Amino acid sequence: MAIDNVIPASCSARIRWWAAPSPILLWFLALGAAWLLLYVFYAETITILINWLPLLGRGLLMNVLISVLAMAIGTVLGLVVGALELSPLGWVQSPARGYVQIFRNAPLLVLIFFTTYVFPFEVKIAGQYLPFPDWFKATIGLALPASAHIAEIFRGAVQSIPTPQWEASSSLAFTRSQTLRWIILPQCVKRALPPWMNLYAMITMSTTLASLVGVTELLEAAKNASNTVNRTDFTILVYLSVLSLFFVYCYPITRLTRRLEKRFAYH
Amino acid sequence: MLEKFLHGFVAAAKIIGLNYSFLLSDYERIPWLSGIGITILLALCSILGSLLVGVVLAALLASRQAWLRGPARGLIELLRNTPTLVQLYCAFFVLNMLLNQVLGGAEHNPLTPFHWVVLVLSLHYGAYHAEALRAGIEAVPATTREAALSLGFSRVELLRHVELPLALRFSLPALTSNLINLVKSTALGAAIAVGELTYASLMIWVQRDNVLELMIFIFLIYAVLTYVVARLGRALENYLRMPGYGH
Repeated sequence: MAIDNVIPASCSARIRWWAAPSPILLWFLALGAAWLLLYVFYAETITILINWLPLLGRGLLMNVLISVLAMAIGTVLGLVVGALELSPLGWVQSPARGYVQIFRNAPLLVLIFFTTYVFPFEVKIAGQYLPFPDWFKATIGLALPASAHIAEIFRGAVQSIPTPQWEASSSLAFTRSQTLRWIILPQCVKRALPPWMNLYAMITMSTTLASLVGVTELLEAAKNASNTVNRTDFTILVYLSVLSLFFVYCYPITRLTRRLEKRFAYH
Repeated sequence: MLEKFLHGFVAAAKIIGLNYSFLLSDYERIPWLSGIGITILLALCSILGSLLVGVVLAALLASRQAWLRGPARGLIELLRNTPTLVQLYCAFFVLNMLLNQVLGGAEHNPLTPFHWVVLVLSLHYGAYHAEALRAGIEAVPATTREAALSLGFSRVELLRHVELPLALRFSLPALTSNLINLVKSTALGAAIAVGELTYASLMIWVQRDNVLELMIFIFLIYAVLTYVVARLGRALENYLRMPGYGH
């Protein structure tokens, strides 16, 4: 205990990395070992899985596409809503608050059902019929709650900057927009980054909900594969692969988020 | 009386272009109303289950034995970093299938999809609770812990009578927010045909094409449920508040 306190944090980290390997490494080693064992004992099942890999891979790409797009739309929309929430004008602020309340408190699955069934399957823009595919509707269904969360993250970050900084910069002859641009926002990025990444992991995990409205993403592909092959060992294998794929994708994001949180906590 | 009220409501809604005529048909109204009941039951069972799992996992995390702490931490990371729906499928399509095979047919299996949803939600949110409670246990002042140990408390007594009660007060806001997410997640039951609110509504709108009308109700009902949980959490926070401790 006492010795721990004497060694500086950076130094102890360097000494101990081999003695206590990072949890990510341990997890990945365990997963790798499990797969190796499976391959030794169930070579036939693994071969079937390898045949299905292109389809599953395309499913995973769909998950990544939906999550990235939903997060991009959500970020742009969320920054606007968050800025409106910060407005001193009541008639600007309260609709923004209402938007955030509605989309934060509705279940994600219900929102995805909502966008899928309420939106038309094609839109007419300038005389042209553009298809409005299900995967894009599901993306919007995830972008709406994402934007509400990002609005809250943004508002929280701006409000967490002590107000004397505004006064100090105005006494240094910065205008209000210059203060926001050069002094407040750079500090907000630091504070908002960890929760933003957390949200990305959450949205990525929620992309599986799109399978319930007929989007062929990873989980749906796995379900199709398991129904087609119809073998007990393959069903076990394919669902555990989906579970481990999501874990391999999301766990590093979580770890990185925690590290950033710790690092930024002192600033 | 009820009949009259329903007719009035449906007629009034029709004026503003909303089609609630399903409320007049017994075959649709009764499953839909029982869907609300099932959602509430699902939420209650999962809340109790998740708190139980959370306390057990937090106790394991607080243990001094590495062979208890390690697996608990691993399980928590696995539960927190994989989608709830994938967990539900792994439970229902894999574990339930294996259970059917062991018991010799689905008709001998006592577990229904309802049980599996409760189990998965309890484990998933139990992991989040455990993390919140662990932070609360770490926030217990070292002097308090030493005082209890010097009074002859064993490790288990220390956890049961000192650390957990204080941790509960510290982590109640986080627990409440987890429980709100849990209530929202009960909609996942629709994925494996548990007849809860979302699934019951789905059954109606595929027949009648009145998605918007049902969505208004669904949003309102989930809003009420989450509001109730939030208020209860706040009330409990006030009730348990100890001057000078916690937030």
